[in-house]
Amino acid sequence: MISIVSMILIVSGLIFFAGGAVGILRFPDFYTRLHPAGKLDTMGLFMTLSGMALYVLTDFSLAALLTALKIMLIVVFIFITSPTATHSIADAGMRSGLPHWSRDQKESE
Amino acid sequence: MKRFSLICVLLFGAVLLYGSMDFPAFGDPESPASRHLSPYYIKNAIKDTAVPNLVTAVLADYRGYDTLFETAVIFTAGLACFLLLRRFRREPPEFRLYRHIDTGVTLIIEQGGKEPTDSNEFQQIDSQWVPYDLIIQKAAGLVVPFLQLFALYVIAHGHHSPGGGFQGGVIFGATLILMAISNDLRSTIRRVSEAVSSKLASTGVLIYAGIGALCLILGANFLNYSQLSKLIHVSSVMARSHGILLIEIGVGLAVAAVMVWIYYNLVSAGRHDEGL
Repeated sequence: MISIVSMILIVSGLIFFAGGAVGILRFPDFYTRLHPAGKLDTMGLFMTLSGMALYVLTDFSLAALLTALKIMLIVVFIFITSPTATHSIADAGMRSGLPHWSRDQKESE
Repeated sequence: MKRFSLICVLLFGAVLLYGSMDFPAFGDPESPASRHLSPYYIKNAIKDTAVPNLVTAVLADYRGYDTLFETAVIFTAGLACFLLLRRFRREPPEFRLYRHIDTGVTLIIEQGGKEPTDSNEFQQIDSQWVPYDLIIQKAAGLVVPFLQLFALYVIAHGHHSPGGGFQGGVIFGATLILMAISNDLRSTIRRVSEAVSSKLASTGVLIYAGIGALCLILGANFLNYSQLSKLIHVSSVMARSHGILLIEIGVGLAVAAVMVWIYYNLVSAGRHDEGL
């Protein structure tokens, strides 16, 4: 039962990853590409890793609990650092004067 | 000249390729390395050194000389950066920027003007000043202590899990660089000054070589840690395990300090006053 739930979590995490990868390739400019990159880092990793943590917990023991806890710790740190990294990269882009993409701008080119 | 060097490169490349034709195939179980050397390590590493992580046992014990000189190479890299980049004569800049913290007003003080000291009221800021970003500052401040703890764990636990002095030292050095990036260079230099980092780097190499020499004094070969059992009362096998831990600490110190030292010199163009 737990393994089915964890499988669903991992697969939906993989869907996030796939969407993020497509987004990085297909979006038109720097800022919009950062958006799927940040999403895939946080949401995709959160889902796949929590699925794995659940899967480890199928045989319940202290060692398994410790492993699951470590996996969830990774998630916590990614939750803190990944949006910060995305924020600072976007910030650096703004400061160095990179204009954001807009539809009119593309037509005028 | 260009044509001559091209011919040289092609010639040597051809000689090297010709020489590599005698090599055993990649992953060949009959190659000399996998007939004598690797099986010996795999069979005897735990028996000899009580270290479950065979990579650590090979790097720090069986081939201790190799790792000692790797550490020396890293120290030399730090020294070379220092000698090439560091500027000892301080030519004063045309102006310095200070910020009044309460009001946020920035003062430009030209050369010869009276400069306020860093305090609760005034703070020196870089000439290419980027406003402080609260999000980045707080997130870095939140993560740094955990990262440093993790770095110490990687060094101390190098026998049992992947890791060791090099990796732990790199993580520790990276946390200090993260502090310098998220705040400013000056506040990090106030915590870990250049003198401290250079001394720690040489201390790290000294610990490694000193432990080797200690084994020599105790009447064994250089870096044969089993003789350390005369100093710490454990069996000679456990003494080798502890010896590995001690030199890993030396390596970690050297790597972390050299990373920080190189960063200081690179980022401020050798002036150590302002940087990224």
